Amino acid sequence: MTGVADIHADIDALRELADALTRFRHGQREVADRGDHEIEATRASLETKASRWRSLLVRRQAALNACQMSAARDAGAGAAGDCHAEQAAVREAQERLVRIRRWQQRVDEEAGAFRGTAGRFRDLLDLDLPRAEHHLRAVIAGLEASRRLRVPGT
Amino acid sequence: MPDRPDEDAERLLRVIEAAWHQAQQDWRDDMAGRFDRVHWAPVIAESRLYLRALRECLDIMNTAERDTDF
Repeated sequence: MTGVADIHADIDALRELADALTRFRHGQREVADRGDHEIEATRASLETKASRWRSLLVRRQAALNACQMSAARDAGAGAAGDCHAEQAAVREAQERLVRIRRWQQRVDEEAGAFRGTAGRFRDLLDLDLPRAEHHLRAVIAGLEASRRLRVPGT
Repeated sequence: MPDRPDEDAERLLRVIEAAWHQAQQDWRDDMAGRFDRVHWAPVIAESRLYLRALRECLDIMNTAERDTDF
């Protein structure tokens, strides 16, 4: 057990440390919430983009089909139809959808890997840090009590 | 524009480490050593792990957004 003679501490600095730990816990909890929010916002944004390009692909595919039917009719009448622009538009939508889907997959993988670390960090904030603060405040209380005892005899 | 969460986390870590170093100037008894081992070191280690993971994850999120802004 630590005796009064072994105690070397600036109580004000320890109080400041305990208060700083409390501020740290609140601040980091807010950080963790914002981090989770950013991940969800990215997922939602990618889904919105995917949905938009799916719709565009459907419309562009319909335009290409109409163009090809028209071109076939024109070819029957001896004229040459040109659907290159429609084909390029369909290809662009397909490529962009593929890219978005790849990113959705990557983001899901990253978010899954991050979840474990984030969960441990939340446990730290909810369980370990309050224990550390409690320990520190008990130390401070002990130091204050021991110094009160020392005053009459000094 | 608000800072990224990982930048705020880094700032909070710097503040708490400064408070610890300040407290250590005058707290050098057995209790200080125990507090360091049992509480402080794990808190800082886990916080640094989280910070690194958060930074990497947010970098990926930002790249995903940029790479799909057509």
